[in-house]
Amino acid sequence: MKICLTGVNHKTASIDLRERLAISPAHLAEATRSLLKIAGVREALVLSTCNRVELLTCQEQDAAPIETFLHDRFGIDPAVLRPHLYEYWEEEAVRHLFRVASSLDSMVIGEPQILGQVKESYLAARSVGAVRTQLDRLLQRTFTVAKRVRSETRIGSSSVSIASVAVELAQKIFGSLESKTVFLIGAGQMSELAARHLVEQGAGTVFVANRTHERAERLAAQFGGSAIRFEDLYATADQADIIITSTGAPDAIFRKEHAQRFLQGRRGRPMFFIDIALPRDVDPEVNRLDGIFLYDIDDLQSVAAAHLAERGKEAESGDAMIDEEVEQYRRRMHSLQIVPEIMRLQGVVDEIRHGEVQRMESRLEARGEALSPAQQAAVEALARGLSNKLLHHPLKAIKAAARAGDAAAVEAIREALGLNLTGRYGFGDPAHPDAPAGQAQAQPGSEVEPGFQTETGFQTETGSEDWESPSCDPGESSAADGLEDEFPPSPPAPKDHPR
Amino acid sequence: MLYGRPGWKRLCLPLAVAAFFFHFVSLTEMLIAAHRWAPMDMREVQSLLAISVCAIFLLIVAFYRTVSFGIFALPMALLLSLEPAFGLEQGSIASPMARSGWLFVHISTILAAYAALFFSLLASLLYLAQERRLKQKSKIGFLTWLPPLDTMDQIASLLLLAGFPCMTVGLLAGSLIAQQSMGAAYFLDPKILLSFGMWVLYLLVLCVQRSSGMRGRRAVYLSSFAVLVALSVWAANEFSSVHRFTRL
Repeated sequence: MKICLTGVNHKTASIDLRERLAISPAHLAEATRSLLKIAGVREALVLSTCNRVELLTCQEQDAAPIETFLHDRFGIDPAVLRPHLYEYWEEEAVRHLFRVASSLDSMVIGEPQILGQVKESYLAARSVGAVRTQLDRLLQRTFTVAKRVRSETRIGSSSVSIASVAVELAQKIFGSLESKTVFLIGAGQMSELAARHLVEQGAGTVFVANRTHERAERLAAQFGGSAIRFEDLYATADQADIIITSTGAPDAIFRKEHAQRFLQGRRGRPMFFIDIALPRDVDPEVNRLDGIFLYDIDDLQSVAAAHLAERGKEAESGDAMIDEEVEQYRRRMHSLQIVPEIMRLQGVVDEIRHGEVQRMESRLEARGEALSPAQQAAVEALARGLSNKLLHHPLKAIKAAARAGDAAAVEAIREALGLNLTGRYGFGDPAHPDAPAGQAQAQPGSEVEPGFQTETGFQTETGSEDWESPSCDPGESSAADGLEDEFPPSPPAPKDHPR
Repeated sequence: MLYGRPGWKRLCLPLAVAAFFFHFVSLTEMLIAAHRWAPMDMREVQSLLAISVCAIFLLIVAFYRTVSFGIFALPMALLLSLEPAFGLEQGSIASPMARSGWLFVHISTILAAYAALFFSLLASLLYLAQERRLKQKSKIGFLTWLPPLDTMDQIASLLLLAGFPCMTVGLLAGSLIAQQSMGAAYFLDPKILLSFGMWVLYLLVLCVQRSSGMRGRRAVYLSSFAVLVALSVWAANEFSSVHRFTRL
């Protein structure tokens, strides 16, 4: 099984192409189900935002190319699509996914929406049973990594849009915006957006003044505020803490003398002017007054640009974190790969121990020297203890080697433990390829002759093989413990799963 | 720069609370063991001042949700605690007055007043820095941690106001002790005269601020001046012949 991520984003494809490939949230589940129908694809997820369309799959080695999904679904000529597609495999796919969810690959680095969009895709994929074991683990890890990057760096700490910069500055002046009064003069789109942001942050009263009073009334109604007649502008302005101006007036409508008068009326309480008009509505001299803060469109844009540059620097720290997380993820995956084999080994050991104890008991019974229940328990405990002790270090070593990705060491230990063997007491019994060896071949009461040389190569004087499941030892954890814990099991797939 | 890292905030605040708690327990135990409440030497006074600084910082955090003051207050509290631990013995009050409750009232209220004034000054200075930053539209990254202007204005005014009753009670308690122990001569000491002068100035500043509704930069300049005078009166202890309690 391999993890593959393929798609297009704002760096590789124009908006025209991205538009053609976009999948709406309502169609995500259906698209994921279609993706899952490609031969060899075991798990799948579709991520579609305004800046990217990406397909994440867990697939077999010989699976059909994933890009066929895009060709078939959107009817785009492969020759047109291929130059814009990127494809990542395994660790690179994991790295890319981590970067996307952490907003390091976004057009505006640090924007918070992408994590929600990845979660939305995840929920859609789960709803059709397309995310189960491997992708589930990967996506759970992705969410943790994204949260870590956001909380341990400052990629999302500063505002990068004009409207949010205005809100941030207002908060730097007033602290909480609750009960603050906003006065919107002129009804431009950007000023309306800034006012909306301020109201969302708790600003209380909104006044709107416009040369067309009806338009002012309409806008005021949207914010639950009051429309002010343009001729009452100066009489009302001193009630406002934040004034957003965007009129088309050829000259400044607020000059120093106006601002001085406002300050007197406010007993020195500060005022924040956001002037997004061109030509400007507020005389720059106003900013010299104690208690008045004036920002025009250029000021806001330069603050936004500086914040964006700062996010770029923070992204470097985020990338370092992601390198670390990818490495950890790789190690965990290697550890998990060995778990099924260890589980099967435990099955073999259980069977051998059980068989040997029963064989010994039946022989004693035949001689009329049957063991008492206490003696049986003691023998059982002895067999269990011996097998646990013998298996403890090899299993620990194989887990450590798997975590470190040391394939040679893993192979050597597998060989030593007989994990590569097939048939009785070995792996992969051809008759029961999917069942644990121990379960596949357990034959209660079966006997092994003294001196029986098992394929595992372990032989004792009594002819028994002291294999034992480490999980049977009260003081010992299961071989798989500490591996599965890192990735909680995925909830069961819905019953209507198409596969 | 480190302040901006979210992890530091999560770490530093619980540590400051723990430090305050352990320091408080340590000082209380020490005074209980000595069968008195009043600090007797400079070490104990500095320890009490460190606790007061820390307490005001934690109150500001609780009420205004800003930890920015910790950048200055916590190192100051640390130095106030460490210096006596490693410094030389500076003598102690041998007078029987040491066990007087009035002395405890005098020292604790004066220290509380100075701690409040220190924070008021700090808030005023940070206000000026933030105001300058906003006026100049500066994008300097290392000052992004500054709290909002309004918050600093409120803290500066409130602490200036809160320091006044503490200072008044402290001076009254001190005068009572001095009257009993030394008589009227005590009130001719330069340090004592300066203290009363400072109190009058403090009162005037408060009256001017309240009556004119002064805010912003001018209010900050005025209150900073009053605070600096108060702090210099503290430093004037060296010029006093009778208030140098370590030589009593």
